[in-house]
This record gives sequence, C-alpha cells and structure tokens, in this order.
Amino acid sequence: MIPHRFDYVAPDSLAGCIEALNTAAPAGGDGEDARVLAGGTWVLPEMSRAESRPARLVDLRRAGLGGVTGTGSGLSVGAMCTYAELLASPDVLRHAPLLHTMAEGITGGWALRSQATVGGSAVSARPQSDVPGALVACGAVARAVGPEGERRFPVAELFAAAMHSSLLPGEVLTGFDVPSTAGAGSGYVKLKRGGSSWPIATAAALVRLGDEGVCRQVSLVLGAVTATPLRVDVDAALVGTTPGDDGVREAAHLAGAAVDEPWDDLLAPGSYRAAVAAPIARRALTMALVAARTTIQETRA
Amino acid sequence: MTSTLPRRSVGQRVKRHDGDAHLTGQAVYTGDVTVPGTTHAALVRSPHAHATIESIDTTAALAHPGVLAVVTGAEIAAVTDEIPHGLDAGHLGGHHAVVRPLAVGKVVHVGEPVAAVVALTPADAAAAALLVEVGYDLLPVVLDPDAALAEDAPLLYPEWGDNVIIAREVGPDDFDEVATSAAHVLDGELRGHRGNAAPMETRTYLADWDSRRRHLTVWATTQNPHVMRTVLASTLRLPEGSIRVIALKIGGSFGLKMYGNREDFIAPVLSRLVGRPVKWVEERSAALLPAARDQRLAYRVAFDDDGRLRALDVHAVSDHGAGAATHGWGMAHVGALATGLGYALDHCHVRYTVVATNKAPWVGTKPFGKESATLLLERIMDRIAVTTGLDPAEVRRRNFLAPDAFPHTHTSGLELDSGDYAAALDLTLELLDHPAARAMQSAARAEGRCVGIGLGFELMPESADIPGALVAAFDTSTVRMSPSGQVTVLTGVTSPGTGNDTAIAQLVADELGVAMSEITVVQGDTDLCPYGFGNISSRSIITGGNAAVLAARDLVATLHTTARAMLSAGPEEAIVLGDGMAQVAGDPERALPVPAVAGAVHTLSYLLGLDIEPRLESTRTYRPANVRQVPDELGRMNTYTTYPYAVHASLLEVDPETGSVTLLRHVVTHDCGTVVNPMFVDGQVTGGVAMGIGAALGEELVFDADGVPASTGFKTYLLPRAIDLPRVELGHLCTPAPGTPLGAKGVGEAGFSGALAAVVNAVNDAIAPLGAALEATPVSPPRVLAALLEAGQ
Repeated sequence: MIPHRFDYVAPDSLAGCIEALNTAAPAGGDGEDARVLAGGTWVLPEMSRAESRPARLVDLRRAGLGGVTGTGSGLSVGAMCTYAELLASPDVLRHAPLLHTMAEGITGGWALRSQATVGGSAVSARPQSDVPGALVACGAVARAVGPEGERRFPVAELFAAAMHSSLLPGEVLTGFDVPSTAGAGSGYVKLKRGGSSWPIATAAALVRLGDEGVCRQVSLVLGAVTATPLRVDVDAALVGTTPGDDGVREAAHLAGAAVDEPWDDLLAPGSYRAAVAAPIARRALTMALVAARTTIQETRA
Repeated sequence: MTSTLPRRSVGQRVKRHDGDAHLTGQAVYTGDVTVPGTTHAALVRSPHAHATIESIDTTAALAHPGVLAVVTGAEIAAVTDEIPHGLDAGHLGGHHAVVRPLAVGKVVHVGEPVAAVVALTPADAAAAALLVEVGYDLLPVVLDPDAALAEDAPLLYPEWGDNVIIAREVGPDDFDEVATSAAHVLDGELRGHRGNAAPMETRTYLADWDSRRRHLTVWATTQNPHVMRTVLASTLRLPEGSIRVIALKIGGSFGLKMYGNREDFIAPVLSRLVGRPVKWVEERSAALLPAARDQRLAYRVAFDDDGRLRALDVHAVSDHGAGAATHGWGMAHVGALATGLGYALDHCHVRYTVVATNKAPWVGTKPFGKESATLLLERIMDRIAVTTGLDPAEVRRRNFLAPDAFPHTHTSGLELDSGDYAAALDLTLELLDHPAARAMQSAARAEGRCVGIGLGFELMPESADIPGALVAAFDTSTVRMSPSGQVTVLTGVTSPGTGNDTAIAQLVADELGVAMSEITVVQGDTDLCPYGFGNISSRSIITGGNAAVLAARDLVATLHTTARAMLSAGPEEAIVLGDGMAQVAGDPERALPVPAVAGAVHTLSYLLGLDIEPRLESTRTYRPANVRQVPDELGRMNTYTTYPYAVHASLLEVDPETGSVTLLRHVVTHDCGTVVNPMFVDGQVTGGVAMGIGAALGEELVFDADGVPASTGFKTYLLPRAIDLPRVELGHLCTPAPGTPLGAKGVGEAGFSGALAAVVNAVNDAIAPLGAALEATPVSPPRVLAALLEAGQ
C-alpha cells in the first residue's frame, strides 16, 4: 500500500520515458519528483514505507530495454533484463559465466529473480548487493540516455557512492555492454549471514591462463565490503607466474589490505567485512583458477 | 464371534480437518473480513525514544481527502480507563505501569503510538498520519540496564523513583554456605539478546460499534478472545455482555497475540469514537517492536569432582523496555522458577531484576523466559565437563533426576510430575551415533576444520495457573450431538494455527465412536463458546482436550442407556461405541448406527421409557489436580500442570575464516506424554527447533544510539530459511502425565530452548581448540569471528 497519490506512466518508447521523466507531473499528486521504475523490488517497498514520495513513476516495462543478447564480442544486457533472463541465456554462459553464477545466488527465489532487474540493482547502487561488483569485474560499459543524448562509460563510474548512481538528472540507464570473457576462468563467492541475508562480502575473479598455465590476466573485484565495488590490483602476485597456493594467498592478502574504509551495516560491522575480504578473495581466485585450467583442458581436448 | 476393537484416531497421523482450506487459500483470517462501511486506521508513532508530547496539530491531517477523524491519546484517555494488567508487578512488590491505548503526555520508546487517523481507505489513513504534526521535547534516553540503574539515570516514570519494574528472589539464598564444601566454584556471565516472536500474520483487528444496540463486535488476532472481551469491557467502560470477540484463523502468535497489549484496544476505541467499523492492520516494522529474551545472567556454580551440582546462585537482569500491561515481565519470574529444573540441585537461588528502558516492552514470547534458564544450565554443564574432564553427556547423566524421583519439588516450588531424562539423552545420542560423530569431529580437527557437537536439555513447565490473573490451568468444553448424529464441540481454547482443533476432534471422535467428519469444532467466538482462557502455556489439549473428553463421556452415558433400551440389552451386557455404530459387546448382530441412537434420544425418550435426562449435550471443565497455590512453609507454589522435556544434539561446522556456522545435523528426543496426533507434535518440535536456531544464530533486534530500531523487516531481522536448517531428526518417548484422563503434556513451546542451548554449546565446542569461547548470543558470524580473532591474538 502506497500512502501518497502519484502519476504513473509506462511509455512505449525510450524517448517517451525520457520525456516523461523531464516534464512536470500533473497537479493532484503530493510527491516531490519523478522516479524511474524498473522491476520495482526496491522502489515500491520504499514508497510503501513513505521513504520515497515521487510525484510520477516512469515505468520502463514497455520501453524495449529487456533481455540479453550476444553481440559477437560479448553481451548486450538491457537495463530491464531480469536475473531469470540472465540464467536462461546460453550467451551469458558462453560470454560471462560470472553473471550466471551471480544470478544463481540472488536471494529471494524465483519470484524475485523474475521481477528484479540488473539495471535496477545497478542504479540502486546499494553497497550490499551482488550486481555492482559483478559488473565491474566483467568490465562492463554502462549506457545511459538523457535529453542530451547517449553516453557510455565504464560501469565502475556508475557507482558514485553508497546508494547513489552517477546518472544525471533526467537520464535513464538503458543497459550494459559486457565484453566476452570466454576462455577465462571465473569465480564468484558470496558471504551472507544466512538464507535471508543480503551479501556481506562478495568476490568476483577472472583469470586468463596461457597454454603453459602461466597467468596472463587477472581481475579481482570485491563487492559489499566497501561503499562501492573495490577493484584490487593483484597482478604483482599472479601475472606471469604459474599460480599456486602461495600466489593466491599473496593476492588475497593484497585484497584484504586494500580495504581501508569498509562498509558497516547492522548485519556486519566494517571490521568483520575487512577481516573476511582476504579469505573470500582467495576462494574466488581459487575457483577462477580451477575454471581457467578446466577451460584450457577442454580446449586441448 | 469376537468383535474387533473399534478404530481409534488418537495416536494416529490424522490430517488436519481444515488443511484443504489452508492449502487453497480459503481459510478466513481476520484480514479477510470486511463489513459494510469499513474504515481504516493508521497510527502516528513516536520517532523518539523518550520525549514529552508538547503539542499535536491535526489540521493538515484532517484536511486530507477521505479522513474521518484524527484522535489523540489524550482524547482516548478522557473516555476510557487504563488497560488492566495481565500480571501486575505493582501487586507483587514492583511498580504499576499505567498503560493506555495511545501515549498520553510523554513517549517512552520509538514506535509508541501517539495519535490515530481513521479514513475511508488504508492509503488515505497512512498518508494523513504523516501529516499529523507532533511537537516533542526530547528527554535523555536509557537503552540498557546499566544506564537505567545508574545513580542519576533519567527516569521513564518519575513517580517510581527508579527504573526497576520489579525485583524478586526465588529459592533459598544459601550458596555461600554450601559452596565452602564443594570441590569447585565457577562464576560467569551469560548475555542473551533481544528477539521477537515474528509471526507471519501481524496483529489485525476489525471493530464494529453498533450505536443502536450499544454493542461492539471485534474480530481480532487474539489468543484469548474471552479474556480480551473482559479487559476490553473494563477499558471501554462497557458491560462484558455488550462485546463479542471473534478470533478466526491465526497466522502464528507465539505469545505476541496474548491479551494485555495496547494494540488490542486501538480499533475498538476508534470504532466507538467514530461510530463506523474500523480495521487496523499492524505494520511489520511495528510487529517487530515487542521483544523478549534480552537478559544478562551473572552466576556462581558449585560442584564436586564427580561433576555433580551442589549449588547455583544467579542474578538475572532483564532489559524489559518500557512498562506494559502484558505478562511480559513474568518471563523473568518463570525463568527463575525454571532455573535448574530437572537436575538434582538442592540449593538454587535466583534473584531477578526487571529494568525499564526506552525500548518497546517485553511481551510474553515462546518459550516465556524458560530459554534463558535452559541456556544457563546447559552452558554450566559444559563448563563442568571442561573442569572435571568428564564427557558433557556424562555430566548431565550424573545430574539428572532419576525416573523414580517423582513427584519432585524443585527449590523454586515447582513439582515435577514424571519423566526419564537420561533415557531421552541416551536415545538422542543413539540417533546421533555419538561415537561416530566424535570420530568425524576428530578427523575434521586433524584437517584444521572446526566441527562441534553440543547438547541441550530443556524442561518446560506448561499449562500455568497464575493466582489472581486470567491465566488458568483449567478450561471448558461443550460437546453436543444433533438428532442426525452430527457433533459440535465448543471450547474455550483456541488454535494459533497449530491444529489443536483437529486433535480435539480426534479425542471426541474416539469417545463417541464416530468419524472425524461428523465433528465440527468451534473456537474463538465469545458468543458461542464457553468462557475460556484461550491459547497460552501449551495448554489447549490438557485443558480443552481433557474437558472435551469428559463432556463426550457424558454423552456416551446417554447413548449407552438409550442403545441399551433400543437393543433390549440386559444389565450385564455392555454397549460399545465405535466405527459409527452402537453395538452390544460381543454381538455385532445387535447394533444400531450412532445417529439412530442420537435421534431416539431426541424423539423417543418417553416411548423408550428412558429414566435419564434426554440430553446429548454436556459442558465440562477440566482442572488438573496438581496445581498448588497455597504456599508451603517456604512460601513456594506449584503453578504448572505438566513438565514435558527434550534432549537435543547439534552437530555443526564453523568456518574459522568467516565465523559462518553450517548446521550439519540436529537430533532431538522429546517426551510430551500421550501423543494425540504425532504429526502435530513433530510439527511443533520441528518449528520450535527452527525458532531456537534462529535465536541462536541470527534473529536480533538492533537499535541505534538514540534508541531507534534498525531491525524493521525480514531483511534486517534474519529469520532462518529452509536452506539454513538441517532436517530435524526426531525421537519420541512417552511418559504419560500421571493423574490426568489423557496423559498428554504440553508441546507448544517444545524445541526452542534445547535447540538454542545445543547450538551455542556446539559452536563453543567447535571453536574451543582455537582457544575461543562465546558466552553471549547470538552466535552470529561477526561475533564468532571476533571471538576467534581475540583468541588468536
């Protein structure tokens, strides 16, 4: 139940959505400004609790922003793509298995996975969520369209601060370009307090090995441990080596040391997040290494 | 020809009679009810933990579309009396808290209702509530007992002179004398935490004041409809006969919906003031305000080299929150009564201090303070094991009361009726395969893994009777048979969703020899049912069930006499009722359908020359004989009827890098005497275990430094989900309750306490090799990891 009166529109084009977002709502409502509605799993509960009182809701559901498609060089993920769509896509498994693993672990069951969207989660920019860290680890590029036209920028720039995206007023996030990580091994580890908990810490790792098992490229991003996703440079520990337990441990140590301002909430204090960062990073890197070696073996076979 | 015994349903896994309605969404809950002209209420709640109310401006709210009225606490106070207490600390040496439906003059916790809006739609009511402007003058807050008990502490109720709701003692204060001759004395402190009942259905009411009849009908999510009517009448200044309370299906209560809460009064008062039907549905964040379990136990324990307990001395300090008219503070008293219960312990002294703080008040919550006593004794048993080098199971076995020790009067006065605690321990260890579990633990430790095994013995006094209060160990049921043989059972006990109505139907079906499908059970309606005390203290089968059995037996006597006349049976021939027939024992040819006999009672009594009252209706009250409220020479009473118990074992693994706890197995052996329906008992124990595990690991009400609750929903108050829980492996013993018609003992609070203790003990067992220990709950990952890091430094 939403206590205040507001205007609701669901334009059938992106241009219509942007126009609706940038023109005043008709009188009669008692809200404050316009707000974009994606899956609604955050916006509607906030409105029910009167924490958000938009004068107008602009629903993207008819604007053609759903789904995920392969592009040859990767994926195009629509802002309205749901977790269920990620999970159903063979292109996601091929080009960004990390996103598939992330989507499998989303809390809330099928009802939520079929309703909540990747774009909605990204724009919410909640520190304790899965999507921001996973997209940053994949090297995704965000697409946003506003009255001035389209801009593209590295997705890391979308996460300006806790609960704040860098979208400009009147702008709509339309989707992401995700480069293919085929051939790399991916690992994703999420630590929660239990089935109903939001993420306390996530670690997303991508490792690319050469034929001889030498690490050519590694990417490690921690989520939920800091206000915005934390990319950790672990090249010094792993790149150019044949990674073993020592190298992985050193990389994990670098990850733990990189957490200087941990996120703090009522489910876990910052000190806890800082303490678990290294072991979570180690587990994700180990997963990614195992996957990378398997990929090489499969390629040879 | 020999007759076979009639089929009996007691002891069988009979499906609940209304299961289809629940599964298909047809069961009617209070929120489903609407009457013509229904309006909706929303509350204005305090954002401050402690403040005086300087002004309330309702102008803007009244101007909002659809608003019918905005009512303040002072306006309600002018036309009502204060809420009667369920258990008044003021009568027992403590302080009396004046509680009204809405706050008057000052607020003492965040979320306290200050004003109410009535509007045509729920949304308009909620929107207008946001427009009520309340001027507050902030007062300093006290958020824990230390702050509240400090010399110059701000006072919630200045007229009290302190922040102590009540302080009492239970048992002889002789620890020091006994301890001098004991081999060991340990002291310690155990800290519990604030938790909540968290039922699926929040409290919901529809009140309909009929001004022509001067009559109030209230549909309410209450465990105690009759008692709610009694206290509503008092506060609303109405005769009890002018009020009808109807409790429909309940979506869980666990004590939260026991009478005495101010929430019960809001819709009735508003309906009376506005003259329209008023519905009020509690917000989830508000349902997470009431609390329990927030206790700190400082203790000293004396024991000998053989692990046997000698004496125990406890000081329990309860962080109660604000004053209330509920039974909430009684949880501290019951915890004191239950401390040490079931163990051979001749010297047990508990002092308890219930402290008022600027949080929402305690409200009676399953298992009503007994969980603190269980956790304390079970931690002590494990500490004794460490000190003496004995196995934790052996320490318990040596300290348990023996099966031939009953009846046994504990130092608190409670009189244990029966049980075989060591047998329950043995069965639990057998189901666990204890040696194999220990071997697995050793192997895991050798690999650097942290596997723990923990035990928990719970003993739950049930079916309470509080002298002078509307909490009784007895209850009343009516059984009625129509001319077509249809049976109606009307009972004063209610079901919180657990299905005791099905169990009562089973009992009556067996007595009358008819099928379950012939029986309708009516509960929860004060105009239909005998006056009763509803659902509290795991009493429904013991009281309402036994009463229904007694009433059904009265009908059986009438049916026997009538069938005897109809079948021309001689005085030496017995009549047997079963499978829908009344037959002469041993002669199946001479038989009549039960409906034919019932019809004859109603239509042929003169023709058959029946020399009895032709009555197929009886109302009986069952009152257990073992409650004793005339104090003994030490001033002690036995206020409980039955004493079910259980022994739990938890096998779990702690991740030493993250503090995460993975439950591998949970085994529990339970004894609640005669079981009417094993499915319901299994369900109760399993559900109780889930709640206990939730309390052990995750469920915690958290506040910020100003006393604002941060746990406002199920993303911040973490209930366990199915994936967090192992399958609960159950064993059963049956020690029938002596001297009762059925032999049944209460099972409504089973599972929680022993699971809490077993999990806390198992976590400690898992981390002990790393030198870590946790004497505080919840044993959540951040706390476990903090303990491990502290031990590692």
